[in-house]
Amino acid sequence: MRSPQFSSLIILVVLLVVFAVADANFLSPLNISNMMAFLPELGIIALGMTLLLTAGEFDLSVGAVFGLAPVVVMLLVQNAGVDIGVALLAGLVLCIAIGAINGLIVTKIGISSFLVTLSMLLVVRGAALYITQGFPLKSWDQPGFFVTLLAGSFNVGSFRFYTSLWWFIGLSLFAIYVLRYAKLGNWISAIGSNHNAAVARGVPADAVKIWLFIATSVLAGLAGMISAFRISAASPVAGTGYELEVIAMVVVGGTALTGGRGTILGTIVGALMLRAIRNGIVLIGVPGLAYNIFVGLIILAMLILHALLQKNAASG
Amino acid sequence: MDMLRLQNLQKSFGSVRALKNASLTLREGEVVALLGDNGAGKSTLIKAISGVFPVDRGDIYVRGEKVSIRSTRDAMDLGIETIHQDTSLAPDLSIARNLFLGREPVNFGWLGVFAPLDLAKLRNAASALLKRVGISKKLDADALVSTLSGGERQSIAISRAMQFAAKVIILDEPTNNLGVEETHGVLRFVKEVRDAGHSVLLITHNIHHVFQVADRIVVMRRGEIVAEQTVADTDLLTVESLITGADMSALLKQARAK
Repeated sequence: MRSPQFSSLIILVVLLVVFAVADANFLSPLNISNMMAFLPELGIIALGMTLLLTAGEFDLSVGAVFGLAPVVVMLLVQNAGVDIGVALLAGLVLCIAIGAINGLIVTKIGISSFLVTLSMLLVVRGAALYITQGFPLKSWDQPGFFVTLLAGSFNVGSFRFYTSLWWFIGLSLFAIYVLRYAKLGNWISAIGSNHNAAVARGVPADAVKIWLFIATSVLAGLAGMISAFRISAASPVAGTGYELEVIAMVVVGGTALTGGRGTILGTIVGALMLRAIRNGIVLIGVPGLAYNIFVGLIILAMLILHALLQKNAASG
Repeated sequence: MDMLRLQNLQKSFGSVRALKNASLTLREGEVVALLGDNGAGKSTLIKAISGVFPVDRGDIYVRGEKVSIRSTRDAMDLGIETIHQDTSLAPDLSIARNLFLGREPVNFGWLGVFAPLDLAKLRNAASALLKRVGISKKLDADALVSTLSGGERQSIAISRAMQFAAKVIILDEPTNNLGVEETHGVLRFVKEVRDAGHSVLLITHNIHHVFQVADRIVVMRRGEIVAEQTVADTDLLTVESLITGADMSALLKQARAK
């Protein structure tokens, strides 16, 4: 019961109750549908980030990749007349390349992932701005298989959901499986917990980290595509600041920033919590400009709570 | 039978000759203590055996067969397990998961790294092992290693080496930072390991511990092996003078006269 994801869950429930009591619209079908439309986009990135953090690394370039991938895909489709399927494949290859470069520099040259991915953030964001000359692309809303696959919507009663919710659920289940039940998850936790011990037991730590950087980058690109298809537009500044929001979701959920201890369930709770806070705070009438103050304070409170619980567990 | 034989190992780092013609034999079921001051070449020697780096010259034989050790994996596959004080276990993993780290039992092995752990087997094997090494009363296979004391961690690391039928177990300062009682626990455990037929190479600073558990003593100084004696044929002062290289014969005479 002292597990960090459980305390996060309680805080989430409390927040939801507070928002629901403060404003009846919070639980209205329209508002819930809105929250569920945004949730998967950051949530999908947070899944990759959780695995990466558990292995002791993190990635600041995810927000920039979220912006660049759809820009490249849309440019290929709109300006070069490339088939959408081929363009998506090119976007995927691009994300794999970005992740692989991050991973290779971090593991083979031994530079901290903070510095490597901070530089990559600038390179990727700069690339998105340069190839678009800083302007958002023309809106693109031709329906098709891929658009339906990534951003189709469907109604359940008076709720309106997007297929991205299925992606988030499916990827979450897979991530839970990997981290808790698969051999790979044992390796990921061991690498983050004691890198030398893992290597001494023959765990291919570098390869695992490189693949996690690739997975995180690909998930960020996927989330960017989902978002761009949903709003039928790609912007070079999309996803600005997402890297910190995603890391906040992960650590609020109880994953240790120092590696070794990761929880996907906690991350899902964290993603729900940040989404609910962003939404609920506006609904209950906090002025727009004051809103980040509250988000920051709530995150800080969560982290203090985790730290206290950790201390208690250690002494008890 | 010779479990491990090192012949004329040499290793230099730049102009520093860390190992000069080091030769050493470890027999089946014996504990050999490797002693020496800081910089004597002990770490270089065990790193060479455990595959951290290759030697420049010299041969290594395992059970009479000449082998080449190029990685820690090679050493493990040859049955050589090295246990360092703080680098052996992942504190955020359970005892069971640590015991099988890198050699996890899985179902559906064709799934590769995505194969599900065989949790029942993992747990049962871990419990059986904990029972066999006599620490089952206190320890649960599902307990996180971070909740264990230093001595318990050391015992877990040693039992992991035993479990994979390591022929040679190298213990690097196993009693550093341990309390008196825990130290005795670990030393008793070392004897059990030997009685189970494993060979142990024990690196330590504490000469008293050596006399409690070792069968033979090997002393290194400036990259060379300067003495090799059975514990029964020597005493504390002799060993101390061998380590420092100082002439303690006067002291020795005094001591023996008493």
